[in-house]
Amino acid sequence: MNILIAARLAFSRIIATKTRSGLTMLGIIIGVMSLIALVSVAQGATSGIQDQFKGLGARNLNITGTTNQSLTTDDVKEIEKLSGIEIVTETVSGRVTLSSNEASTKAQIIGVDQNYKTVVDPDIFVGSFLPDVTNASDARLIVLSTTLATDLKLDAYSIGSSIAVGSTEFTIVGILDDADGFGTRGTAYIPLETAFKYVAVPPYLSSITVQTTSEEIVPEVTTNLTALLKARHNITGEREADFVITDASQLLDAIGTVQQFLSLLLGGIASISLVVGGIGIMNIMLVSVRERTREIGIRRAIGAQQSQILTQFLIEAIVLSLVGGIIGVIIGEVVAYFLAQLGQWNFALSPTMILASLGFSMFVGVVFGVWPARTASKLKPVEALRFE
Amino acid sequence: MSTVVEMLNVTKTFGEGSSIVKALDGVDIRIEKGEFVAIVGASGSGKSTMMNLIGCLDRPTAGLVKVAGEDLSELNDKKLTSLRNLAIGFVFQSFFLLPKTDALDNVATPLFYRGVPAKEARKKAMEMLTKLGMADRHTHQSTQLSGGQQQRVAIARALVTEPSLILADEPTGALDSNTGKQVMDLFEGLNREGITIVLITHDLDIAKRAKRRITLKDGKIINDERDVA
Ligand SMILES: Nc1ncnc2c1ncn2[C@@H]1O[C@H](COP(=O)(O)OP(=O)(O)OP(=O)(O)O)[C@@H](O)[C@H]1O
Ligand SMILES: [Mg+2]
Repeated sequence: MNILIAARLAFSRIIATKTRSGLTMLGIIIGVMSLIALVSVAQGATSGIQDQFKGLGARNLNITGTTNQSLTTDDVKEIEKLSGIEIVTETVSGRVTLSSNEASTKAQIIGVDQNYKTVVDPDIFVGSFLPDVTNASDARLIVLSTTLATDLKLDAYSIGSSIAVGSTEFTIVGILDDADGFGTRGTAYIPLETAFKYVAVPPYLSSITVQTTSEEIVPEVTTNLTALLKARHNITGEREADFVITDASQLLDAIGTVQQFLSLLLGGIASISLVVGGIGIMNIMLVSVRERTREIGIRRAIGAQQSQILTQFLIEAIVLSLVGGIIGVIIGEVVAYFLAQLGQWNFALSPTMILASLGFSMFVGVVFGVWPARTASKLKPVEALRFE
Repeated sequence: MSTVVEMLNVTKTFGEGSSIVKALDGVDIRIEKGEFVAIVGASGSGKSTMMNLIGCLDRPTAGLVKVAGEDLSELNDKKLTSLRNLAIGFVFQSFFLLPKTDALDNVATPLFYRGVPAKEARKKAMEMLTKLGMADRHTHQSTQLSGGQQQRVAIARALVTEPSLILADEPTGALDSNTGKQVMDLFEGLNREGITIVLITHDLDIAKRAKRRITLKDGKIINDERDVA
């Protein structure tokens, strides 16, 4: 018998026994729905973080001191002599109270040199980033994050006006777009030299960012940097270094691993419910084979081969699980969409995920349909016909 | 004349040991093309057992059964099934139409199993329904048809494969006498067209309308009589 006729027969049976079919499919529907929704949560939640880290740049190495006095401006001079280094930028930071005419708030003030703009490439919402002030003696200029500007009740028209950093007046030159970068939300930027005057003690730095000439040499430069700084800081043997070097790739790898692990974990949990759904299908198919023993006998009498009976019941199980899978995908994507809205990450339909879910539900249909279908095909025609 | 069914010293037993039942015990018959045979006998005499053998639904315990020239003992399940599909048209007492399937597809199903394309199979099924006066009911399912109508659809299904033999087990048993007579009229008409019919019945009035009567008792043939032409 034609597969098409068997499929049509399967559909008409499913429609004829709506309630039962619906309940049978429920297991698959819930399984696929949770598979789609949970995996999309795992990927959506982590890809947001991943995008933020990608903003840091794959060529950048970040050195932070574990104490306030670990890194110095002299370290920077030596680092600049290493090979494979494109550009180095140094920052200091301190917490200071910022006050506008209308409000005041505590903020993280970061002093940055003229290279910072090149290395980190911050996104400007309005105005501009700090200009080159290498030769100015007391450049009291400041760039605020949007969050800070909002906290201080300032708007886009505040560029050029002044706010107080501690007790000193600074001129606002720009406001940053907070959506970019990581950890910029509550921060303000001022020139490095100015920072050494008002918020930090020279020659100590809070961090140094190094941009290498290529992505490939990041590990090599990391090794050289570690050796150089250990030597300069007199750290020998087992003693713990007073600085930490991180690069974006480590973070991206780590997040990637977390993402994979989360997807596998949540997907695995959802798959269990899919398997439970498969057992539901098997159960109903076995009942159905018993109920339809007479029908099977008639079919065998008028010329259905064992293989044709097997195909018919297998297709019925596959249609059940596949229809359940399709409904599950639709509901799952809707749920994933709303979860993405709630969690504020990007919603994207993943064709791979959809095909994999449908493939998996079909597989479940085959695996759990084979036994009932075999039972049906092995019935002896004479006995099946006599069955009441 | 060609032989459609041949049985030589056929025995069929069920069970084993002390509870063994000899349903057929040394049966010899030949049924030629174009015959109209009634098999009669008391309940438990072995009629259905014989029909299952003639219908290629079962194999004998001993002896030779040949249907359309094929020795059943030499056929595996697959070949036996093909032989049923090709050579036999079944008509059952309680019609046995397929559930959730309209009359047209009920009649077309034996052709589907044979691998005839759906369109062609349905065209042939429609012709057969028309011949039996059921064309206007082709979209009806068995639950929407009367007993007599169901049996007509079942006969159409038996005929659509152009079998060597129509095998009917108590075809009038579930019908009132009037409808039963109409079904018998139908069989007589088909037989006049040259179709071979074997029919099992309790009812001697029905049996009288056949041209040959075989009487079974305790698995043995005790009488085999033909109308004189
Ligand atoms: N599958 C079976 N297992 C055991 N015994 C069986 C089986 N089929 C038939 N028999 C026995 O074989 C004998 C003949 O049965 P069969 O069904 O052929 O009788 P029948 O002539 O068709 O009777 P009825 O008119 O009541 O249908 C009976 O004694 C019956 O009990
Ligand atoms: Mg019987």
